[in-house]
Amino acid sequence: MSDTHFDPIAPAVPPAAPAVPPAAMTVPPAGPGAAAAPRQAPPFLSAAMRVFDLSLGQMLWSRRTIFLGLLVGSPLALGILFRVLEMLGVGGDVKMGGAAVSGPTVFGGMIWLLYLRFIVPVLGIFYGTALIADEVDDKTITYLFVRPISRSAILVGKYLAYLVTTVFVVLPSVVILYLLVVPLGHGSLAESFPALLKDLGLLGVGLASYGALFALIGALFKYPLVTGLVFAFGWEQIALILPGYLRRLTMAYYLQALVPHAMPQDGLGGALQALFRDVPSPTVSLIWLCGYVVVFLALAGRIVERREYVLEQ
Amino acid sequence: MTAKTRYFLFGSVLILTVGLSIGLVAFYGGMAGSLFAGQQSLAELKYVPADAAVVAYANVREVMNSQMRQRLRQVDGMTDQGRSEFKDQTGIDIEQDIDHVVAFMGAKGSTGNRSGLVVATGRFDQGRLEALAIEHGAKVEQYKGKKLVSALADKAHPGDTAHPAGTAPEASMAVAFLGPNLVAMGGIDMVRQSIDRAGGSTSVQGNADLMKLVGEMNDASVWAVGNFDVFRAEVKLPSEVSDRIPSITWFSASGHVNGGMQATVKAETKDKEAADNLRDIIRGFTALARMQTGSNPELQKLMPDIQLGGDGKIVSVSFALTTEMLDAIVAARGAAGAIKKSQPKPTAKQ
Repeated sequence: MSDTHFDPIAPAVPPAAPAVPPAAMTVPPAGPGAAAAPRQAPPFLSAAMRVFDLSLGQMLWSRRTIFLGLLVGSPLALGILFRVLEMLGVGGDVKMGGAAVSGPTVFGGMIWLLYLRFIVPVLGIFYGTALIADEVDDKTITYLFVRPISRSAILVGKYLAYLVTTVFVVLPSVVILYLLVVPLGHGSLAESFPALLKDLGLLGVGLASYGALFALIGALFKYPLVTGLVFAFGWEQIALILPGYLRRLTMAYYLQALVPHAMPQDGLGGALQALFRDVPSPTVSLIWLCGYVVVFLALAGRIVERREYVLEQ
Repeated sequence: MTAKTRYFLFGSVLILTVGLSIGLVAFYGGMAGSLFAGQQSLAELKYVPADAAVVAYANVREVMNSQMRQRLRQVDGMTDQGRSEFKDQTGIDIEQDIDHVVAFMGAKGSTGNRSGLVVATGRFDQGRLEALAIEHGAKVEQYKGKKLVSALADKAHPGDTAHPAGTAPEASMAVAFLGPNLVAMGGIDMVRQSIDRAGGSTSVQGNADLMKLVGEMNDASVWAVGNFDVFRAEVKLPSEVSDRIPSITWFSASGHVNGGMQATVKAETKDKEAADNLRDIIRGFTALARMQTGSNPELQKLMPDIQLGGDGKIVSVSFALTTEMLDAIVAARGAAGAIKKSQPKPTAKQ
């Protein structure tokens, strides 16, 4: 980041004001009127929004977006395949476990198995853990931290950028999938519409909660990606099928209570989950998930504020 | 924010808006009845009363010509004798002449009994049927332009002190020729009412709850929809069972018959909690059945894969009775028969 370029993070200054080196950002800048009114650090929210504005473009047009596109594109490809097969009259009805099922059931299964159990946690891991880690890896974190804004505002701004990026990619793909898959087997779009609205809200909550969790993991651990993968595809899978209270230490436990569709019975794991099913009410789940978002972000912000980042040379 | 990012967000919002608008329009009925709804409304439904407790449909021709029926005939060793006798008497070949039937069970009458009606569509020899009915003592009359053949039962039975001659209730059967290919069969009162109903009275087509379920039946070969309370009362389930079944308001069952049968049973509960309880019960039974059949590969072949689904208050169970299962049933029956034959006959006790 060159000092002569426009810096979107720094508080607004008159264009004529001379640029200052990063190390001297806390020093009141020279220029007309500057001596009379020393430059103030922007409030938390304003600073977070500035970081959000900067990070949104970076996140959307990064190589990671290709991965994101592939991830959300695969259910769509599957939906298109189903429709083409139905139009050609090849393959007959969509079947689950040998029984022909209608479009809404297929859609519900895809939301549960593909989106909630796979895509949402994976996006949380790959984006959430990278919020701070990427800046450390690229050795650009110094440029952010020397600005007169709180470090937690940087984290929150980046988190919001993650949320907007993923929500604006995942939700349209779900809507397209709904239009493609629900009419299969004479399924009714009208009847599935309330479930679609719940699905969209649910996915938003899922992305927010997983993102906050992995933002904390990203701030806390040295190898956050591995830790995140172990949590999402190791711990969550095991804890959910164990009897007792361990499942309450997972995100999926609270998310599954919000799913409007019946959970498909996917093999032994599904059967065990069904046997030991103890689903909290949607209100309780929402409160817990919102609480997780706030607590995880606050903890992550606190860690980022206090941690000393040593960049490898 | 760059222009590229702005365009991306705009495109994303556009997709969301268009998709949700389509869903919203469908939800409020704009397209539900045409583009996305299931089965076209059956004309016979105009003869069904609005307060019908259960409505059922069967595509007789499809069922009769299905491979599944041919296999079931092998299993049960069915012959054509009964069908031939019926055809000789009435001129109706059940396999060829009846296309589909719609039947319903009405609300309770003043006597506390429920009566029903069957409306069949097909090709019928009206003259032959009338002659046969008159031969058996039936009476032919005209009712609102429709020919009605009825077997009146206003004679008191010997020893019937409660209903002396001429005062016994009309519990007789009647057949009405509603159209060139349409016949209604049932209690004479019900047949008359169905003729009245077709003339403009309210029919089941005005019952939104029931028609919603009928609309979901798509192109099923057989289906039935109805009020579960009526079903519960008629079937008279043991209190130990009925007390444990969550509150169900409506139910529907449909089956697509081809080589096998793909069936779906749906239930609408009073609330989401009841639906969750019902799902738990079904999961429990399914898990129990799997455990029971797990050690026996032969029984496993007979166990259909059960798919649990549904949203909110709706619980649906789908399963397929495949040709392999039918073959396994045939094989199991064959094996059972062979074992029975090989066992020594018990000797008479001295």
